[in-house]
This record gives sequence, C-alpha cells and structure tokens, in this order.
Amino acid sequence: MAGIKALISLSFGGAIGLMFLMLGCALPVYNEYWPLFLLFFYILCPIPYCISRRVVDDTDSASNACKELAIFLTTGIVVSAFGLPIIFARASVIQWGACALVLTGNVVIFATILGFFVVFGSNDDFSWQQW
Amino acid sequence: MSGFLDGIRCGDCECSVDWSEKRNTIASIAAGVLFFTGWWIIIDAAVMYPDGNSFHHAYHTCGVIATIAFLMINAVSNGQVRGDSYSEGCMGQTGAKVWLLIGFMLAFGSLIASMWILFGGFVVPGKEHVYPGIAVFFQNAFIFFGGLVFKFGRTEDLWQ
Repeated sequence: MAGIKALISLSFGGAIGLMFLMLGCALPVYNEYWPLFLLFFYILCPIPYCISRRVVDDTDSASNACKELAIFLTTGIVVSAFGLPIIFARASVIQWGACALVLTGNVVIFATILGFFVVFGSNDDFSWQQW
Repeated sequence: MSGFLDGIRCGDCECSVDWSEKRNTIASIAAGVLFFTGWWIIIDAAVMYPDGNSFHHAYHTCGVIATIAFLMINAVSNGQVRGDSYSEGCMGQTGAKVWLLIGFMLAFGSLIASMWILFGGFVVPGKEHVYPGIAVFFQNAFIFFGGLVFKFGRTEDLWQ
C-alpha cells in the first residue's frame, strides 16, 4: 500500500512539473514551444543510472567506476536541462518569464525522478512485498 | 510556543547518512556540474556572438582540447599508475604514467591558452565585447577543475 501511495504522489509531482513546462510554452503571453525540447532531457536523465545498475552485478562494494560515470552523465543531462532554457532566454527566443516557469518545472520533475529512484530503487530482489 | 525546538536532534536522526561512503557520488556530481556548466557557458557565448569578428570560431579548439584532456586524465585509475592493480594493462605502469602526463599537459595547456585568448584576443586589442574571451576562460577553468575533482575527489578504496 505504501508503494501505491508513493506512486500516486510521484505521478502528481510529475504532472505538476509538466504543467509548469506547458505553462512556460503555451501561455498566450509567451506562446513559444521551444522549451518542449526539454522533454528529451527528462527521458534521457534516468538512462545512464539504469544502464550502470544493470551492468554492475556485484553490490558488495560501496561504489564503482561505472556507477560514478553514470552519475556524472546524469548530472550533465540535468545541468543541460537547466542550461537550455537560459540560453533560449538570453538569445531572446523565449521570454525570461517563460524561462522561469520552465526552470520551476525542471526542479519539480527532477525531484520527482530522484524521488522515484529513492523510493523504488532500493528494494532488492529478496523483498517479499513487491509493488 | 515554548519548547518548539526541543524535538530537534542533531546527528542521530534517520536521515544522517554515512558521508564517507557518499564521497564518490558527491565528487561525481560536483565534477559533472563543473564540466557541463563550462560547456554551457561557451554555448551561451557562441549564441550571443555568432559572427566571426567578435568571436573567432577557432577559439573553440581550446575547450575541445580541455575536454580531451579531461577524458585522458580520468581514463586511467590511480591504482594503475601506482601499479597495485591486478592487471598490468597493455603498456603497464610506465604507459599509464606517460598517458597521464600527456593528459595533464593538455589540461594545463588549454587553461593557459584560454588565458592567452582572453588577454591576447580580447583585452589588449580593445575589442568592443570582451565577454566571449571571459566565456572561453571560464569554460576552460570549469572543465579543468571538473577534471581535477573527478580525478582526485573520488577515492578508489570504495571500489574494493
């Protein structure tokens, strides 16, 4: 039951974040849809960590090089997701208000993804209560 | 109102994590932030000054070489250089040292070259916009320190 509650609250967070992103695009004052390219970053963001978790099989060591490289790449994707709307705003492609809305959406969505990994990433194969 | 803060405990709460185990993770995140912030700074400069007069396109070489140096430095583990890893690799300890030497030479060289570009290309000739030169310098500084953090911020004891 705890898994269901966490899942519902995480999906609520994701919906809020996407709402901020769409507000930054679709408000009649702004009306520029360039920030939708950030969706690629949202999709790409969990991929390195998932790959490294699948590649590295022994969980005895506290950390390893592959996992650290994955964290490095994930950080890069997150930084890029924050950098792109700022560059858009500086190049006058979108307005600064839209940029602020999109950045807020960024924070919410990445917090949601992080929360997903914190809640569901830690349960090992031996836990008898799978969600 | 009285006794609001009585419930606060320091250190023994559930959320107190073992920071020494998290050291590699934190170093990786810091290095990633530095490295990619550097690249976004130069993207910003390239977007703001697209013409070759105010920002010569050859100045991008500096950051590319810094990135190659970043990859070279971090492709060799410290254990390989000290010689206490299990396998020798194809060139052994000497090869790892030479590889690392070339990597650090490229890193320092790109940092110095970026300062040269800032002053020789923008400040001294009295260009109207100095910002691209500053962007090149900060890009290389961020990539350089990102490489240092990724190399020396992590400890390989956690891999055992």
